[in-house]
Amino acid sequence: MQVSEDQLKAWMTGGLDGDAGAHEALLRALLPLLRSFYRRRLRGADDDVEDLVQETLISIHTRRASYDRDRPFTAWFYAIARYRLIDHLRRRRASVPIEDVESILVAEGFEEAASARMDVDALLSTLSPKQARAIRDTHVDGLSIAEAAEKAGIGKSDVKVSVHRGLKALAARLKGDRP
Amino acid sequence: MNTDQLISSLTTDVRRVPRRAHAQRIGAGIAGGAVVTLVLVTALLGIRPDLHVAMHGFAFWMKWTYTISLGVGAVFAVARLSRPTPSSLRGAWLLAVPVLLLAGIGIGELVTTPYRDWLAMWLGQSWKVCPWLVLSLSMPIFVGLLWSFRRMAPTRLRAAGAAAGLAAGAWAATIYCLHCPEVSAIFVLTWYSLGILLAAGIGALVGPRLLRW
Repeated sequence: MQVSEDQLKAWMTGGLDGDAGAHEALLRALLPLLRSFYRRRLRGADDDVEDLVQETLISIHTRRASYDRDRPFTAWFYAIARYRLIDHLRRRRASVPIEDVESILVAEGFEEAASARMDVDALLSTLSPKQARAIRDTHVDGLSIAEAAEKAGIGKSDVKVSVHRGLKALAARLKGDRP
Repeated sequence: MNTDQLISSLTTDVRRVPRRAHAQRIGAGIAGGAVVTLVLVTALLGIRPDLHVAMHGFAFWMKWTYTISLGVGAVFAVARLSRPTPSSLRGAWLLAVPVLLLAGIGIGELVTTPYRDWLAMWLGQSWKVCPWLVLSLSMPIFVGLLWSFRRMAPTRLRAAGAAAGLAAGAWAATIYCLHCPEVSAIFVLTWYSLGILLAAGIGALVGPRLLRW
C-alpha cells in the first residue's frame, strides 16, 4: 500500500503537535518505504537492512525538529534515509577496507540522479515555461511556495496554480490521455 | 529489540515540537555560549572603562554593525544547513556586503590619514592578540551550537561546521567589542576578520567528525 505525501505530511505535523497516534501511524507507514529503500541498495544483507531501518526511525524521531512544515515531507524523509545509508556504508568500509564503497555509492547515486534529472527535464519541457519553472522550483529544488514566487517574480497564488495545472497536465500525459 | 517494540517505545512519549522549535534551539545554543563568552570577557579581559563614551562614537557602532551583520548572516546559513534537505545557499554572497562596506570605510580612512601613520593604524595596539582572542572566545558559542545540532539533521557536515564556526566567531567578536578599544576600520577588517575566519576554518575542519549523527 502506497501512502500519499499528503497523508504522511498530515501524520508528521500531527506528531509534531503532540499527537502520539499520528506519530505512530507515521512511523508504521514509513516502515515498508524504508525496507524497500534499503533492500534495493544493500542486496541480500537483511540484518543490515533491519538495523538501518531502526536507526533511521530513531533519527526521524529524535531529529523531527529539523523538519520544515512548509516543505515536502518525503524529501526530508528520504534525505535522512540517504544520510543513514551513507553513514552505514562509511562505517562498514572502516572494517572492510578492500571494498571501496564510497566510490561505488558516488557512481551509483550520480547515475540515478542524472537519469532522474533527464526524465524530469523531458517531462517538464512539454509544459509551458512558467508551469515548468514552478514545478521545478517547488518539487525538484525544494523551494517553498513563497521562495519560488519571489524567485520568479510572480504571486504566490500564481505559483500554486501553475504547479497544480502543470502537475495535472503531466498526470494526464503519463496516463496516456494525450500523446 | 524488534522494530515493532522500537516504534512502540518511540511513541509512548510524543512531545509537542512547536513550529519555532528549530529556530529556538539554534538561538538557545548561541545565547548559552554567548553568556559564557561574556563572562570570560568581563572576568579575564575587562570591559573597556570608556564604554559608555565609546557607545556614542562612530567606531564602536561600525565594529558592531560589521560583526553583528556577519553573525546574523551566519546564523541563517546554520539554520539552512541544519536541515537534511539540500536547500540552496543562495544569498550566502550577502555575507560579503558587510566586508565590502567596511573595506570602503577603510579606504576612506587611508585617504584621510598621512602615509606614515598607516602602519600604526593598521596594527593598532593589539593586532598580535586580537585574532587569537576572537578565536578563543568563539569556542563557547561553537560548543553551544554543537548542542543545538544534536536535534538537527545536517547532511553537509563540513559546510555546516564552517557556518557554525563563522557564527561563533562573529558573535564572539561582537562581545569582544565590549573590551577592545581599537577604532580603525582596516584594523577590524584585518584582525577581527582573521579571528572569525579561523573559527570558521576550524569549524569546517572538525564539522565532519563532531556533527556526525
